[in-house]
Amino acid sequence: MKRITCAVVLATVAVLVWVATPAVSQPKVVRIGDLGSKVGVFEGYGKYQTMGIQMAVEELNAKGGVLGHRIEVISEDDETKPAPAVRKAEKLILQDDVKLLVGVVSSGATMAVMDVTKKHKTIHWNSVSCAEFMRTTKFHKYYFSNQPDSRMQANGLAKYIIDRMGKRVYIFYTDYAMGQSDGRQFKTALERLGGEVVGVAGAPLDTKDFSPWFGAINTANPEVLFLAFAGTDSLRLMTQLHSFGMTRKYRLAGIDCFLLQQDLASIAEPMEGFVQLNHFSAYNPDTNMQAFNARFKKKFGVDANIAAGAYDAVHFWAAAVEKAKSFDPDRVALAHEGMCLDNTHIGRQCIRKEDHQVVMDMHLYQVKGGKNLPIARIAGTDSIGEPMVGKDPVEGFSWELKKKN
Amino acid sequence: MDYLVAVLLPQLLHGLVFGAALGLLALGLTVIFGLLGVMNFAHGELYMLGAYAGIAVVGLTHSFWVAMILAPLSVAALGAVTEIVTLRPIYRREPLYGLILTFGLALVFREGARQIWGGDMRRILPPVTGSTPLLGMTYPNYRLFLLGASSVLLLLIWVFFTRTRAGVLVRAAVQDAEMLDGLGVNVPRLFTLTFAGSAALAALAGLLLAPVFTVYPQMGVEMILLAFIVVILGGMGSMGGSVVAALVIGIAQSLFALWMNPQRVAIAIFGIMIVVLIVRPRGFFGREGVLE
Repeated sequence: MKRITCAVVLATVAVLVWVATPAVSQPKVVRIGDLGSKVGVFEGYGKYQTMGIQMAVEELNAKGGVLGHRIEVISEDDETKPAPAVRKAEKLILQDDVKLLVGVVSSGATMAVMDVTKKHKTIHWNSVSCAEFMRTTKFHKYYFSNQPDSRMQANGLAKYIIDRMGKRVYIFYTDYAMGQSDGRQFKTALERLGGEVVGVAGAPLDTKDFSPWFGAINTANPEVLFLAFAGTDSLRLMTQLHSFGMTRKYRLAGIDCFLLQQDLASIAEPMEGFVQLNHFSAYNPDTNMQAFNARFKKKFGVDANIAAGAYDAVHFWAAAVEKAKSFDPDRVALAHEGMCLDNTHIGRQCIRKEDHQVVMDMHLYQVKGGKNLPIARIAGTDSIGEPMVGKDPVEGFSWELKKKN
Repeated sequence: MDYLVAVLLPQLLHGLVFGAALGLLALGLTVIFGLLGVMNFAHGELYMLGAYAGIAVVGLTHSFWVAMILAPLSVAALGAVTEIVTLRPIYRREPLYGLILTFGLALVFREGARQIWGGDMRRILPPVTGSTPLLGMTYPNYRLFLLGASSVLLLLIWVFFTRTRAGVLVRAAVQDAEMLDGLGVNVPRLFTLTFAGSAALAALAGLLLAPVFTVYPQMGVEMILLAFIVVILGGMGSMGGSVVAALVIGIAQSLFALWMNPQRVAIAIFGIMIVVLIVRPRGFFGREGVLE
């Protein structure tokens, strides 16, 4: 009987060891979340965000992961709306236990997700959204951004427009968080520099026909038409402006995310001469951008674009985790502050301690023959502005037009 | 006076252009409803497939004009197969079956298009380029062509329904399909051909509007709501009513956009529908007994 008992115990132990062995030999895994638009008006940005994350994760995993953990990416679609974005963020954090959340694309959704990452103390990187509230009133210690926000963009663009394009500007924006923010900050910067805003109008996100606004633009008779749109809205708007002869009538300029390089080829003619602010272009001769783009193109077969900033977000986070020697969000957040990385997709970049904004040089490009060619460079330190954590960035702002004599 | 010429008249023109194209889409929907008693939720996806089929044909032949023939024909063929395989078995069942089925078909078509062509927005170059000075502005020639083409097509459809034997048969089937069956007309085939014709109309509308609104998998969802409003306003099953309602909605939408946020325009359009239905519960030209 004893022998049988002994045999059973041994067999059980053997089975347990056999079952447990694979688990022990499995490398430890840390998950990160990729939340963004996978379909709809901003899906182009969401797709490239995912690609940037994948590329960074493969590089890190090839070197042993982070803190001995292999990195695993879980991607979710936020449907470009705040409510699903919040739901998916909760799922990624609570169910999948992600230690980093990268996203989202639309500013409205990003601000909604910021409440979630603040509540659950999760490191949150934004590489696409640009509303001005994210590093001011909505800011929290776990939030970081390497997307130039509206204030940075306006500072970079307004001076060039006044100096080189014209002083009478009409602001046409997409009427939700991102466009309103870009419109507001641009109006503020332009008026501060002595320019005149001759008209403003907002069209809802995902507008199909922009022609109802064209009459008002023509009546205002601006020199420059400033456009704060993104995604498929930009494509449609440019096509329609062109068909109404307005791309030839006015000088046109737009924000950082106005149009992805990939979409440019399909509307090269309407976009000819368009001045766009960007922090990355595959056609910029900058050696860092060229080196990054070559690796990106080799892997995915397409040029990179601004959404590939998500690549840097993952590298910053991994470096911060290694520095903190922990995944603890408080320690990782602290390790981020003031950190600099040399090998980002646009060269050396540093995170400003006060508002967790990456100080990035801004580049102005002009579309010529379907390519974004660089025409000016504005140092990140000149465009970033003072830290305004907790302060209202739109205090005293009014959409009211100031008539000039 | 300046406001009238520089602002109101161009908006009126925008509304007319859009309303005429919307009429093409809504007409197919109302014919299917009148004849088959089915509120075709997949009609928007047939509109979308017309645009994608157009892209495919233009890619192969480099001709928008060829696409205007082949794209509707290919979608009509898909419509015929869909009607035979899925709708025909449920004609004698409650209308709810048709609603659910076409809703499912819409999902299948939309996701199918996404799988085949991807989710990216695509563009078809207009076959008519340039612009014309009109009403104090530069008006795209393609939009004028769109207005002309839609008007001619609507006229041809009216001629078909009023002056041809096939058209009279369809109208007779709308009135009383059983009686027509008793007279020896092959009603199932008539249903199939009518469904295919409606699908072709939707496809043609999708292709014609593609150079203006661009092409993407969800484009049908966004148009179908307006088309439903048009059908309800015009009177369920009334073809003339649909055309009138499409023009009213197109112009109203365009003019309202001058004074209010377009999101509120959508609410205003619903407001118009509610007011019309209170005053005329059957819509502009609705007949007694339809959906009652």
